[in-house]
Amino acid sequence: MNKSLLLLFYRKEALAFFLSRAGQALLATFGVLTIVFFIMRLSGDPTLLLVPEGASAAQIAELRHQLGFDQPLAVQYLAYLHDMARFDFGESLVQRAPVWGIVTERLPYTVALAAGALVVALGVGIPAGIVMAVARGSWVERALAGVVLAGQSLPTFWSGILLILLFGVVLGWLPTSGVDGFSSVIMPSLALGAVAMSTFARMTRIAVLDELQRDYVNAARARGLSRWQAVRRHVLRNAAIPVVTIAALEIGNLLAGAVIVESVFAWPGLGQLAIQSIQSRDFLVVQAVVLFISLVYVAANLVADLAYAAIDPRIRAGG
Amino acid sequence: MRRVSPGMWIVLALLAGFVLAAVLAPLLAPSDPLRQSLLLRLKPPGSVFGGRSYLLGTDDLGRDLLSRVLYGARVSLLVSAVAVIVSFVVGTTLGLLAGWFRGVAATLIMRSVDTMLSIPAILLAVLTVAVVGPGFLNLVIVLGLTRWPRYTRVTYGQTLQVAQLPYIRAAEMAGCSSLRVLWRHVLPNIAGPLMVVATSEFGLMILFEAGLSFLGLGIQPPEPSWGAIMAVGRSYVERAWWLTVFPGACLFVLVLCVNVAGDWLRDQVDPRTVSR
Amino acid sequence: MRRLLAACLATCLALPAWAQSHDTLTVDLPGDVATMDPQIQWDTESYSVYRNIFDNLVTRDGSGKIIPQVATDWHYANDTSVVFNLRTDITFHDGSKLTPEDVVFSVRRITNPAFKSPQLSQFDQIVSAEVTGPAQVTLHTKSPYPVLLAQLVKLSIIPKAYVEKVGDTEFNQHVIGSGPFRLASWQRGVQTNLVANDSYWRGKPAFKTVTFRAVPDTATRIADLKTGRADITRGLSPDDATDLKSAKGLDVRAVATERVAYLFVNTLFGPTKDKRVRQAIAMAVDRDTIISALQQGFAKPTSVVLSPVDFGYDPTIKPWPYDPDAARKLIKEAGAEGATIPFLTSPAYDRRLNEAVQQMLADVGLKVVISVVDQPTYLKRRLGTPEEASALSQGRWSCGCLDADGVIFPLFRSGSVWSKFADPAFDAEVDAARATLDEQVRLAHYHKAFEILHDEVPGVGLFQDEAIYLVKHDIAWTPTPDEAFFVYSMHYTD
Repeated sequence: MNKSLLLLFYRKEALAFFLSRAGQALLATFGVLTIVFFIMRLSGDPTLLLVPEGASAAQIAELRHQLGFDQPLAVQYLAYLHDMARFDFGESLVQRAPVWGIVTERLPYTVALAAGALVVALGVGIPAGIVMAVARGSWVERALAGVVLAGQSLPTFWSGILLILLFGVVLGWLPTSGVDGFSSVIMPSLALGAVAMSTFARMTRIAVLDELQRDYVNAARARGLSRWQAVRRHVLRNAAIPVVTIAALEIGNLLAGAVIVESVFAWPGLGQLAIQSIQSRDFLVVQAVVLFISLVYVAANLVADLAYAAIDPRIRAGG
Repeated sequence: MRRVSPGMWIVLALLAGFVLAAVLAPLLAPSDPLRQSLLLRLKPPGSVFGGRSYLLGTDDLGRDLLSRVLYGARVSLLVSAVAVIVSFVVGTTLGLLAGWFRGVAATLIMRSVDTMLSIPAILLAVLTVAVVGPGFLNLVIVLGLTRWPRYTRVTYGQTLQVAQLPYIRAAEMAGCSSLRVLWRHVLPNIAGPLMVVATSEFGLMILFEAGLSFLGLGIQPPEPSWGAIMAVGRSYVERAWWLTVFPGACLFVLVLCVNVAGDWLRDQVDPRTVSR
Repeated sequence: MRRLLAACLATCLALPAWAQSHDTLTVDLPGDVATMDPQIQWDTESYSVYRNIFDNLVTRDGSGKIIPQVATDWHYANDTSVVFNLRTDITFHDGSKLTPEDVVFSVRRITNPAFKSPQLSQFDQIVSAEVTGPAQVTLHTKSPYPVLLAQLVKLSIIPKAYVEKVGDTEFNQHVIGSGPFRLASWQRGVQTNLVANDSYWRGKPAFKTVTFRAVPDTATRIADLKTGRADITRGLSPDDATDLKSAKGLDVRAVATERVAYLFVNTLFGPTKDKRVRQAIAMAVDRDTIISALQQGFAKPTSVVLSPVDFGYDPTIKPWPYDPDAARKLIKEAGAEGATIPFLTSPAYDRRLNEAVQQMLADVGLKVVISVVDQPTYLKRRLGTPEEASALSQGRWSCGCLDADGVIFPLFRSGSVWSKFADPAFDAEVDAARATLDEQVRLAHYHKAFEILHDEVPGVGLFQDEAIYLVKHDIAWTPTPDEAFFVYSMHYTD
């Protein structure tokens, strides 16, 4: 499989495919930049939030002028593009500090949360998927299928509060919110990981089922290996590839899901930063966070697309 | 069509139950969901006061939770249904146009799809609500206009394939207008996969409505929405668990039923044609 | 990438900060500091932290009286010039002396429009500042300005040489002041660590280190206090406070603040243009039930839109009585039965109060339609034209200056962005009250102004809000009406 991936890049059309996909990704990023810029500007500027109660109309107008929000939108947009072209993310209006620093200070929290969620999702989802495929038709499969469906249907804010209620309030084992050592990352990871867990379980089940139908499995069984041994020695390695591809896609989804989970658990990551900055109209911070999350999303999609194309046309999804 | 299994009948019955509860809320609700009594704040489930029983307890303004949860089903189903219709119409139309005319139109449309899909939907919704403001109508518009790209993707791919079919070509040669061919021949051909997408989107929409209302950006108080009730429950999690547990359980069961129905529907349609 | 990993590990493995030693104080705040630079943001969280790092020209004692701090004494040279004599024994944390040049620099920096300070409007009555002696500065105001000293309570003195050397951005990251505590570290969104300034001119602080943590969730803050992870927190709801009254080892300490909760009534647009409808609204609101049921008693009724601790409060003006029958009659007279009253609000205001008012007005025949928008949109509309501002909204007002001038002037003086009221007689009274320094004359003007407000009802005063703190029992500290949070005034009793 790895060999075919490498071979692909030697071929001309493969390179063209890669370039066109990368071009599309770049275009999408530019679109995101533009959409977010204009949505934010249409929502009004932050001047009124910044002035003290009791400021006069003249004082408000003066501050607005100083901040540059009295300029035409087109001028502001071009200035923004100019800054972005130089990778200058600007300064936060509220915190008066470089946006780059603010975003990178919050990033580790979101990464920690996403990593925790991924551990939950992979740790539960993949074994569940394998068992569902191998034990096809048994009561075990049906029970697991129920769990998977439940995970997929859980509203994260509800499961989040229930976790807080159980482990934080009733049992008192874990801190109810905020950052206080390793224990505080457990509940948000569980809440966030539940949905991704379902996705992994489903994908693993399909991939393993696909592999189980192949001839080499029958051959291995004929050589006297048990069903489980065959799975362990041959099937898993081959089924891993589509699952890894899905993992790339899920990272984007996890970042998006973090928006709500972080607000339930008061976790100081990018999602909470985004919501707070939208509420305070801290334009440049919002733009930087959305751009960052979108970039991860786009990059993950790109990787997944290329991997799909490289591995097996059979798995290629419609659309 | 496969035989409908007993489990599936239960799911369908539950779904019908939710719809009935929403439609008949005024008849079923024991009291006005907006009627406050500040002296009966945060009473636990089963409390009885002045000859009235509060089966699910009361909220932080002394309103009957059961009535609010029943009316909440209305909000949830209505917002999601209308939003799904809006996004379905927008997304499918764009997808048909792109798949049929190809060229520049397709490029433009499909690149916008890429862009829309690379902004996390919840962030996009939060941003848009900041511009248009919350409220029932705005919520429907925001959800409808941010969730169309998946229909476009599926419609586009399917239309490309269907357009190659001999009888479609024949219809086109016979001088039928594009509109007629798309409406009479292409659309019915791709209805199956689209229904599957719509069902899974319906489940997502329900979660989105609740999520936005939870963040305070959805339905306006005092109108009851499950998400909004849970947001109140979040701040009373230690003293009034019922505010979180009951509306959340309704939301969970409803979405679960919709998802099971969606899976079942997908099994009826060729499973390979629809991406996750 | 390696740095990111290290940061993640540090995030996850950081040991819980157990606050047990009497040398350290851990404070749970509902949010993070926005700016450490005291001349930029002025929200309660930032104030709570950075004011411990700086000194002010003047300050308030426990009773609210203005007393010397950096300035030893002051006098009016004329109606628009105040001369301040300064202490000479104060040093900044870097060892340099606090000089009159630093004071003048602080005033000039915050009043310079190019600096874009959000606090500018609190200080822009000051037209110039100059050094007039080896330990003396003189401030000049545009016109006689009675609340100048009250505003100077909030002006932190910053070191000129250091700020000019490192620049504004760096200063915001690593501030240096002359106050009782030094900034040790600041982890944005998470926590701030301060350490004691042992050579502080007023004497060594009682705590060696102080940690301020951002803990947005109230339940978590309470849990932190119960488990000893934190020693003091603020921003409790009345419901929480009632639950915690008997908590072991913890005190609920509440103080009536200068923050007044009121109902804004639009006199220039919509059904509330009719004075009778406005008076009916004033009589339909059951202040006592709101205070006993929603505020659980953590509030004091006010008869006007002003907190009783503010200068100019007039107890002789009685509030409209709660009288739904009379209200119904007035509404009938005005032909406004069943009229739709738009009510604009944002998540920043107590949702329960909005909905309770909605119910109370429904009882007298008015249909209140609440629309919740986010804070920036709310401000845009509330400060916009009378048509945009809707008929009603809830407000909480505090000028941080303990003076009626900072409350009813911006709220009701015609021409102010907040005002949706135009009454020449009222304008004349508040204008006259701000143009003189004579307290008796000012009080007389405010009495007349409040009489007009009472009759015209451009707003309904509801209650004086209380700030509720949860404090470890053995920490001695009394919260103040201006919601200042000076750690220097706290210590363990044993």
